[in-house]
Amino acid sequence: MATFRVNPISESVPSDQELIARTLGGDGAAFGILVERFQRKIYRVAYAITRDETEADTITQDTFIQAYTHLGKFQGRSELETWLTRITINRSRDWLRRRKFVSIFTSDADGDDRIYAIEPVDEQPDAERQFMSHQLRAAILRAERTLSSQQKIIFRLRHYENHSLEEIAELLGLRSGTVRAHLFRAIHKVRKELGEWVTQREGIPDEAL
Amino acid sequence: MKHFSEAELLETYYTQPGESMPVMMHLADCSECAARYERLERKLREAAACHTEKPATFWTRQRLQIMRRVDAQNAHAISARRTLRVAAAAILSFFLGGALVYETVKPAHQPAPMVKVTPVTAQPAPAPSAADIHDAWQSEELQDFHNVVEWESWVADNKTTAHQGSSL
Repeated sequence: MATFRVNPISESVPSDQELIARTLGGDGAAFGILVERFQRKIYRVAYAITRDETEADTITQDTFIQAYTHLGKFQGRSELETWLTRITINRSRDWLRRRKFVSIFTSDADGDDRIYAIEPVDEQPDAERQFMSHQLRAAILRAERTLSSQQKIIFRLRHYENHSLEEIAELLGLRSGTVRAHLFRAIHKVRKELGEWVTQREGIPDEAL
Repeated sequence: MKHFSEAELLETYYTQPGESMPVMMHLADCSECAARYERLERKLREAAACHTEKPATFWTRQRLQIMRRVDAQNAHAISARRTLRVAAAAILSFFLGGALVYETVKPAHQPAPMVKVTPVTAQPAPAPSAADIHDAWQSEELQDFHNVVEWESWVADNKTTAHQGSSL
């Protein structure tokens, strides 16, 4: 009776370095795997900074194209994810500056005037909670408008992406103390804006907060 | 016991957890503030919820677009490289062909011939031939005056004749 020896199939996931080497060797599929691996994260960062879905999509694509073009220059001193995130942040920052420049000549003063839909965490959110959540989001958006580009990026990476100060410092190529100073200034402005929000919600039970 | 304001709790939320030790210590003791901080944290996380939960088709489309652009970039690079090679080959052939033609047509290099200088004696200018003499009187411009001149010469002849007759 013949017996078949079953070799365990090695399902090892190729590392970033392997995929980079394969891409540089002309294997386009390897780069596709890298795109698939990081596109969500890159899109999320771009969206966190720009708060614009179309721009986030464009920036994500541009980031990967730029990374592909300069992949040979990637020295591996940092993680590929960090490198991609830096490219994304730089592109998003450029976009913020361009928009700020354009807003000088238009009435759209850095306008994040869109009202975002409420995404309740609870399965059965009550209307009041939704309203408060909406108010809080609007207050944060108002506060963000008063921030400089640098403060905005730092605050958004902290607020939306929940990056630590050290991570933000590494991504932006700044010292941790500088990031902390920017974040404190940003928080001060957000506090001021949210202070008004807190005043507005007087009379509403604390549970609603 | 002093309770912390929402602004202070907000600052605690955005700075590193554990960064504001007085606040964190207070939260450990005060259940009321701890509950408020927890609610604030939950609300801020809700507010920060990102709209990136896209359907799989979105990511597939995005990936395909990226790969298409990568392919286009590769094709462009190959095309540019080929064009560069063709241009280089054309320039090289042009110069090589030019050099070949030059080598073919170029006259053999010879030393310059010695020029012997001999003194030249002054020679009289040759006399103009009859054909070279231009008779201005025969030009077309003066043909109209021929009759007048002829008449004048006739009058003169008559006078001469008359004079000769009278003298006779």
